[in-house]
Amino acid sequence: MSADLQQQFVSDMLTESYEGLDRYDRAILDLEQGTADTEKLNDIFRVVHTLKGTAGCLGFHRIEKISHVGENILDALRNGTLAATPAIAAALLRLSDGLRSSLQTIASTGRDDTGPNHDVLIAELSALRNAEPHLAPIAVLVEPEVTLQEPTGVAAAAAEPATADAGWGLFDTPSPTGATPTPFAPKETSPNPVSVAQAAAPITATTVRVDVALLDKLMNLVGELVLSRNQLIQLAQSRRPRPEAVADLSQRLNLVTTELQEGVMKTRMQPIGNVWGKFSRVVRDIAHELGKSVRLETIGSETELDRTIVEAIRDPLTHIIRNSVDHGIESPEKRAQSGKPREGHILMRAYHEGGQVIIEIIDDGAGIDLARVKQKAVERGLISGEESSRLGERETINLIFLPGFSTAAQITNVSGRGVGMDVVKTNIEKIGGSVDVHSTFGQGTTLKIKIPLTLAIVPALIVRAGGERFAIPQVSLLELVRLEGTAAAVALEKVYDAPVFRLRGNLLPLVFLHRELKLPGPTTADSAINIVVLQADGRMFGLVVEEVCDTEEIVVKPLGKHLKGLPMFAGATIMGDGRVALILDAFGLAQHSRVLNEHNERARSNRGASTAAVSSTPRTSLLIFSLPGRNRLALPLEQAARLEEFTHDKIEHSGSREAVQYRGKIMPLIRLANYLGGASKSASDSATLQVIVYRRAEQTFGLVVGEIHDIIDEVLEIQSGSEAPGILGAAVLQGKITDLVDVPGLLRAAGIMESKAA
Amino acid sequence: MKRTILAVDDSLTMRKLVSFTLRSAGFEVLEAQNGQEALNLLHTTRVDLIITDVNMPVMDGLHFTREARKLAATQTTPILILTTESDSEKKNLGRAAGATGWIVKPFQQQQLLAVVGRVLPGSIAVATAA
Repeated sequence: MSADLQQQFVSDMLTESYEGLDRYDRAILDLEQGTADTEKLNDIFRVVHTLKGTAGCLGFHRIEKISHVGENILDALRNGTLAATPAIAAALLRLSDGLRSSLQTIASTGRDDTGPNHDVLIAELSALRNAEPHLAPIAVLVEPEVTLQEPTGVAAAAAEPATADAGWGLFDTPSPTGATPTPFAPKETSPNPVSVAQAAAPITATTVRVDVALLDKLMNLVGELVLSRNQLIQLAQSRRPRPEAVADLSQRLNLVTTELQEGVMKTRMQPIGNVWGKFSRVVRDIAHELGKSVRLETIGSETELDRTIVEAIRDPLTHIIRNSVDHGIESPEKRAQSGKPREGHILMRAYHEGGQVIIEIIDDGAGIDLARVKQKAVERGLISGEESSRLGERETINLIFLPGFSTAAQITNVSGRGVGMDVVKTNIEKIGGSVDVHSTFGQGTTLKIKIPLTLAIVPALIVRAGGERFAIPQVSLLELVRLEGTAAAVALEKVYDAPVFRLRGNLLPLVFLHRELKLPGPTTADSAINIVVLQADGRMFGLVVEEVCDTEEIVVKPLGKHLKGLPMFAGATIMGDGRVALILDAFGLAQHSRVLNEHNERARSNRGASTAAVSSTPRTSLLIFSLPGRNRLALPLEQAARLEEFTHDKIEHSGSREAVQYRGKIMPLIRLANYLGGASKSASDSATLQVIVYRRAEQTFGLVVGEIHDIIDEVLEIQSGSEAPGILGAAVLQGKITDLVDVPGLLRAAGIMESKAA
Repeated sequence: MKRTILAVDDSLTMRKLVSFTLRSAGFEVLEAQNGQEALNLLHTTRVDLIITDVNMPVMDGLHFTREARKLAATQTTPILILTTESDSEKKNLGRAAGATGWIVKPFQQQQLLAVVGRVLPGSIAVATAA
């Protein structure tokens, strides 16, 4: 057999065996619970039996040997000569582990004799097989009829053919001369060693099972497509195609393609149960390890998802389940104390909703202890004690998604393996999904995961900027805002040089797509502004584009390797006119434009700084100062060039304005007290004036303030609502409400700057 | 003329192994996943030889052999059962059911071809030479 063929058979065997072993595990768990019937036992007997046969044929003798022993036990179990005990069930689970590890070895090295040899397991299984049925056997629902009939009189009496050990024989044909066929030389007993590189590829994911009826339907549709193509060719050749004919044909093509698309999508669909199948085993193992009793229930295992997504959610879901058993479900004693059944219950539920798949993991465990979460977050230096006191329920729960967070009092085997909920969240968000947690302390936790059905074809909004078209996947799209005429002229404001837009009272940071991608700006004199409001990592920002075109279903094509490093793009697609458009990645774009800054946050939390941010906003250095009558005001430090003190006698007048001479220039002074409501205008009684030298567009101004208190480095979360003149909004800084001074606004009010923002 | 062999096995890998071996020896191979599927096929298609696994869901190999013997078309068609070393008593059950012979799994490709060559004389030029 050529290496290629061997490889193919091996890969078939692996796929088949993994599938079988999943069923096997579930059946053994049922056996342990005493709910396994003969049919299930027959099925898993066949799994092991088949594995033994194929492994033998392909030369994997270790697997053959170990499955042979397992087969014997299963055979005895199903025909009732051996009673199932917990010990047997546990050993049978170890058998599947052993088989899996051998299969893994084969997948990576192409042979099984380099892996574990299973001698201990074989000895254990043989001992169990030979032991008398004893102690607390688990009830097996033995049906009177077993698949194979007992030997009939005739068969039992029939003589064993003489060539029994030759590997084959014929019952009735008289043996030709040279009666016993000589056994064949073991020519290919060991498989051709497959090169490691070749075999190292994940073999399990290379084949998909497709329903024959679906395949037939696809073939039919392809037939239709061919017919349409023929018509199209004909139409293209006709000198003057009738418009109706073109319309008819395009409609037909549309229909066929849509159906074909749906059909092919179906072939990629896999029930989520494929992933869940393993979880009952995971839950059992962890529960045993921790001395807990947990029952896993699944609803909606048949819910289908694109196979790439099924793969992608495997690890996050496993982690969540582990977490639920480890942190969620309490010990049986504790549960009894709080009046719950001793056995914990985890429900996994999957269903379709609005073009998305929802997966819920609901446990009836202890729930999330908000106080403890806060305390832990403070201990880990993820937030400050002060910050923690201000967090609401939701925000507190969301702390568990911060990198470096774990509430486990002691690091168990199960948790504390360096993978936190933050990774779960990141991985789910990577495929366009989201995670939501609800918890009632003492009653349980519900995790709700929303994921898209497929990643291959997504609805997207097409926009234009700098002469190029871009596609924005609709999952990250919140709304569109178009400003025309005068509205456009005044809508854009600047908060410390960062453009923002006031959307229903909230400040929306803006990103100009053409600037971000360094494309030429709009050439037309069109004053309208199109803002695409996007959401990335739970934060909103506005993307300013030149034109909003249309929504379209786009086919996502991955970018070439050399372009993979560009975070702003999620891929490319081909538009109706055959031209390529890049697909924008909202998250990457937000990061690139610094609307959202993940790296900083990560770095900080790793450092364990005492006041790491809860949100992903970048920090701002702020100058805290006061005016008589206004205790806490703040300005961004970035734009303050210097802090100066001037004595009153330095003040001169230039026109109607106060000014000082500063570095050989005239620096106008602005008394903030005159522009901010609530501040007392009476001159301060101190001998000197505290002045913040403020530089803007080549011009220098002095802002006269009362007293400068502090310079802090904090996340600026402006809560708008304060409509007072000269104030942008308020934020909680150092635990106190602080008003943020709108410097450009002030300058305008003071008549120093032109009234129109640049 | 190409001879046709029906390979019945619930394991895809096993079916592929058998079919590959037989196809490379010049046979036409039909496949079925279990006895019931094989029987359905036999109603419409003529085959020269049947090789069947014993342990299969829906309808096992022995049951299938008995049913096949009831059909006029396959009353005398050679039927080989694939058994493993461990269930050697199934050879006898196979004989009782009407099987022509048996092959032990795991088998060598040449072994399989030799048996087939024996049951279908003159069918394998390649294999007998091998």
